[in-house]
Amino acid sequence: MSLVLVVDDSLTVRMDLADAFEAVGVRAVPCATLAEARRALELEPVELVVLDVLLPDGDGVDFLRELREAPQSAHLPVLVLSAEAEVKHRIRGLETGANEYVGKPYDRGYVVARARELLHARQAPGTDRAPVLIIDDSITFREELRELLQRGGHTVLSAGSGEDGLRLIAAQRPGALLVDGVLPGIDGATVIRRVRLDAALRGLPCILLTASEDRGAELLALDAGADAFVRKDEELEVILARLATVLRHAEQRPPDQAASTLGPKKILAVDDSPTYLHELAAALRAEGYDVVPVRSGEEALELLAVQAVDCVLLDLVMPGLGGHETCRRIKAVPVMREIPLIMLTALEDRGAMLEGLSVGADDYIAKSADFEVLKARVRAQLRRRQFEDEHRRVRERLLQKELEATEARAVRELAETRAGLVAELERKNRELEAFSYSVSHDLRAPLRSIDGFSQALLEDHADALGPRGRDYLGRVRAAAQRMAELIDDLLELSRVSRAELCVGRVDLSALAQAVVAELRRREPERTVTVDIEPGMEMAADRKLMRIVLENLLGNAWKFTSRAADAHITLGTAATEDGAGWAVCDNGAGFDVTFADKLFRPFQRLHSVSEFSGTGIGLATVQRIIDRHGGRVWADATVGAGAIFTFTVAQRQGAGGAGR
Amino acid sequence: MNRTGIILLVEDNPDDVELTLRAFERSQVVNQIVVVTDGQAALDYLHRTGAYTDRDAGSTPAVILLDLKLPKLDGLDVLRRLRADERTRRIPVVMLTSSREDSDLLRSYDLGANSFVRKPVDFASFIEAARHLGLYWLILNERPPDGAA
Repeated sequence: MSLVLVVDDSLTVRMDLADAFEAVGVRAVPCATLAEARRALELEPVELVVLDVLLPDGDGVDFLRELREAPQSAHLPVLVLSAEAEVKHRIRGLETGANEYVGKPYDRGYVVARARELLHARQAPGTDRAPVLIIDDSITFREELRELLQRGGHTVLSAGSGEDGLRLIAAQRPGALLVDGVLPGIDGATVIRRVRLDAALRGLPCILLTASEDRGAELLALDAGADAFVRKDEELEVILARLATVLRHAEQRPPDQAASTLGPKKILAVDDSPTYLHELAAALRAEGYDVVPVRSGEEALELLAVQAVDCVLLDLVMPGLGGHETCRRIKAVPVMREIPLIMLTALEDRGAMLEGLSVGADDYIAKSADFEVLKARVRAQLRRRQFEDEHRRVRERLLQKELEATEARAVRELAETRAGLVAELERKNRELEAFSYSVSHDLRAPLRSIDGFSQALLEDHADALGPRGRDYLGRVRAAAQRMAELIDDLLELSRVSRAELCVGRVDLSALAQAVVAELRRREPERTVTVDIEPGMEMAADRKLMRIVLENLLGNAWKFTSRAADAHITLGTAATEDGAGWAVCDNGAGFDVTFADKLFRPFQRLHSVSEFSGTGIGLATVQRIIDRHGGRVWADATVGAGAIFTFTVAQRQGAGGAGR
Repeated sequence: MNRTGIILLVEDNPDDVELTLRAFERSQVVNQIVVVTDGQAALDYLHRTGAYTDRDAGSTPAVILLDLKLPKLDGLDVLRRLRADERTRRIPVVMLTSSREDSDLLRSYDLGANSFVRKPVDFASFIEAARHLGLYWLILNERPPDGAA
């Protein structure tokens, strides 16, 4: 059984409310002073407090602040019940963290019904509440606000820029947005405008924060579609109060209550005449409504920022902000747009009525001492609002279903497209493999015949050919062999692109020694000093890394063939990408202007007569290094040598066995 | 040189046949070389069927040089059938081909090839390869005892 504290110095109020609560099965503990309330709170767990403001031993709102600052009572629902007529008191209570503020004289049915709603909301699981997104470029402010909101029971997301924020909104669908007006990229107003343009996000409650004192900023915020506006120099608690209000305005009532017009309703009555306001409030309270009377348009707007209401009755002719302007401003706020607003006037003025309706009033009624018509209009407006809510919910459900169907279709189509692409890629790969295979097999056969029969002619018919014929046949053979080399290199290039990577630990030093030994075996007549740093290890595909070394060391070997004192080194090198390896020689070098060209297939910087080669080797090296997630680059000086440096991506568990 | 050892060359490209014969001749291999130009003919010769029904039983080859790409039955099909047949399962088979694809190498060895030689484009290298083949398979290599073949 729920326990409610009723803190009020009036015995009548304590008795009345205790009775009303007991009648609906809620236990109420009456307290005449704040001291009694404190004791009661220590004795047993309390689930709601009904709190008077003027108490013999202190101020109720101060007590409320005390409750909010203590972690165990920070979320305790508090319904303030006060005789203070001034709007500023009401605002002070709400901004201090009151969940509801009811004026005296009160309607006991209303108080109990609201109290039960608050108890119900408290019992509902809070975990599925959508998070609040903070967009602010100041990390200090973000963290301060995050702490405050978390204390208020919200989960919090944050972003440092409008762009990041919009991405988060799309991905996480927060329940509310707090955005700074001034941001490094797109500004806060633009963020809100973009949210309003998106059909799926349009309903997101948005609060614009600004450091500026400028009143123009507020208009800018409303213009962009913000639901509320908070200056950053105000107390942070104000932000919580505004947030609670926009969330309550935006929240959908549970479906079982949706069709009921019997729930507790709060009506804001705005009129500069205290007499009329008093009569109007009395008449509406008699109907079971809670009435908030305010005396000007300015007060109405200020109150609406912290207090959600179900209906607004607005006098047309008031000093200061008139009825039209007040109405226009209320209707400019997305979460308040749906609140039924009835314009009141002493005039039977057709022109004024039309103007009122044109700025968004839902109805228009002439003031009279007979409140029956007014009450009927209020009932009608509240009913209309219910029906509209219901319709909107139905529409939203349909839209949601449609959206889900569209999403499902898109996901299916994407999957189909992807499957199609994969199949196409596999087919292309098979084709490429078949192509490479026949190139390897069929293009070589004729070359063998060309070379073989040229050789046969040279051997069997050397005399008949004469020296010139023998020279020509020698050229035919050289051309055939060069073409065979090209074919082999191209096949290798295609093979290193296709082959599956088998990454394991590679002893680079040992691999390099083996490659150099092979070079020495092929050209035993050359004297080349080769220094290989011992103990170099890396995580890579051993077979492909051997091809890299064959090409880089092979090139160094080849291009030092004319150097007087050929010297090649291979060692680790520090690069801006981290640890790498470098092959260095003192050979022919090249013009660095063309360094990028080197790695493209068939690009050569030396003529074939100078140094042999197909121009595919470095393209193959680059392809292999690419596949290892690394980079390879070259530096050189003509006539003084070249350095080729490469890196590979660091892999996790590189020390483990390769696949 | 083992003069009784017959070499069976299974090759469809007449240029390659001519060059192979010349390479063996240049490398002093004087054994009899029987040439068949497709996979079916190779099996007929070995199993003494079809055109080779009347072949002398003693003329079983000492080594088979088998190209991979052949009309009718390709080299791998021929190899698979040779290895599945009691009469031919022990005859050494050398794959002699243009391919250097890993997949061809692996499949050949998986099916029981004894050796895999890639035909070089350079004819001098080809002669060298032929010399090694003749030396190894016809002279150094101990063949299974007669009757077991």
